Amino acid sequence: MTTTTPLTSDLDLFSDEALTDPYPHYKALRDLGPAVHLTRHGLWFISRYEQVRSALGDWETFSSGRGIGLNDGFNDAWGSALINMDPPAQTEQRKLFTDRLSPRALRPVAADIDRRADQLAADLVTRGSFDAVTDLAQDLPVHVIMDLIGWPTEGRDQLLDMAAGWFDSAGPACPRTAASVPKVEALMGYLAEVVAKENLVPGGFGWTLLEAHKAGQIPVEGAIGLLAGYVVAAFDTTISTISSSMWLFARHPEQWDLLRSEPSLVPAAFNEIVRIESPIQVFSRTTTREVDLGEGAVIPAGARVLHSYGAANRDERHFPDPDRFDIRRNPVDHLGFGYGNHACAGQGLARLETHAVLKALAARVQRIELTGEPVRALNNITRGFQSLPVRIH
Amino acid sequence: MVHIEVDGSRCDGFGFCEQAAPEVFGLDDDGVVTVLVAEVPDELSEKAEAATRACPVAALRIGR
Ligand code: HEM
Ligand code: SF4
Repeated sequence: MTTTTPLTSDLDLFSDEALTDPYPHYKALRDLGPAVHLTRHGLWFISRYEQVRSALGDWETFSSGRGIGLNDGFNDAWGSALINMDPPAQTEQRKLFTDRLSPRALRPVAADIDRRADQLAADLVTRGSFDAVTDLAQDLPVHVIMDLIGWPTEGRDQLLDMAAGWFDSAGPACPRTAASVPKVEALMGYLAEVVAKENLVPGGFGWTLLEAHKAGQIPVEGAIGLLAGYVVAAFDTTISTISSSMWLFARHPEQWDLLRSEPSLVPAAFNEIVRIESPIQVFSRTTTREVDLGEGAVIPAGARVLHSYGAANRDERHFPDPDRFDIRRNPVDHLGFGYGNHACAGQGLARLETHAVLKALAARVQRIELTGEPVRALNNITRGFQSLPVRIH
Repeated sequence: MVHIEVDGSRCDGFGFCEQAAPEVFGLDDDGVVTVLVAEVPDELSEKAEAATRACPVAALRIGR
């Protein structure tokens, strides 16, 4: 125990109100100190860019080994998943993902992704009005990863709700977290059924896992866990990025004009979208020793520390005028994909998909307009929309 | 003059370093980073430092 008074707040970051608009709360917590103890959930919170980046780069102090979720049930259930491991075991398992998801490995599918995005954009231009979540944002993230896994075509849509439930189940003890349990059970049951029936296309990622299991290299739970890793990580994250880009460009038509006049800004726009509306807002680590972050913020050993990608990406100490959406900013060092040994293994795929959608729309669409109230998908971990009615022309 | 330290075992081949400073970084045939110049001249050092910050997996560091 230390003699310093810890910096505290009784804010509930997981209330509907805070999840709807977390940014004023993030700013208040950033200004309070480099780490703040959230008394309501018994968690520490770090939200400034430098501290979040340093923590993510220092797994020996900020360990994932006791789980990155905010409740023990989640962390125990997923104890052998990549996200909840430390090196050296994590380094080994990560290769299973990076071998398949590196830019080089994905090169053969890039042209297919562009074609699918072009077709989708052309269809939506013909329709004019549609829901940017269900009709646009969900298409590529679901079908591209499912094709890569070699998943049967039927039943793909069922997985969406189950995957969102998985993220909720990582939250703190609260009704939203409890409500997600049946969805996670359904997800695991469904994955187990597909594996048991060997209902996977030979040659895909799923088949490789099945072969590894049959060869005795991984237990069946291991194969199901890895499959779940692909499914949950690839869905809501990329769907949120594409939905948010429509929302942002509808509200900032001058930025859309800029993108249309300079399509080479697509990669920079992607970075800015992931910075300003980070699809994964928080996860956590556990301290392996006492950490003094200065200004009286001393985190004890063994504490669970929430690190906010979303808050760090809006830190005015690092990004000038952080609440302004500016596709020329090109924030290459944003933390929306994490950083360090757990940095998103699928970011190459997320990039291919979002770039393809933005390019295809920029070539055809002059204006994106909201035609109704957007509905947020409130989730303990992710930030995105449930529906977003738009018109394009 | 700055010197770049590379931990090739961490590199996932995202290629951001190459995009940010193509004079300094490249990817080899296995898609792993290689440093093209042993000592980075002063006029490129700022670019090289920005590129090391862009690496998502902390495979690059500026040494002395
Ligand atoms: C824009 C879309 C995406 C965002 C914002 C995103 C964000 C993240 C973040 C923040 C982490 C780090 C978790 C941590 O710090 O512990 C992560 C890890 C991961 N992501 Fe993504 N992700 C996206 C898309 C994808 C896709 C499409 C895939 C797979 C096809 C994927 C696969 C993974 C995997 C396997 C990990 C775990 C890496 C590890 O623990 O070593 N992600 N992602
Ligand atoms: S940015 Fe990092 S991970 Fe990407 S190629 Fe360069 S060294 Fe490798």
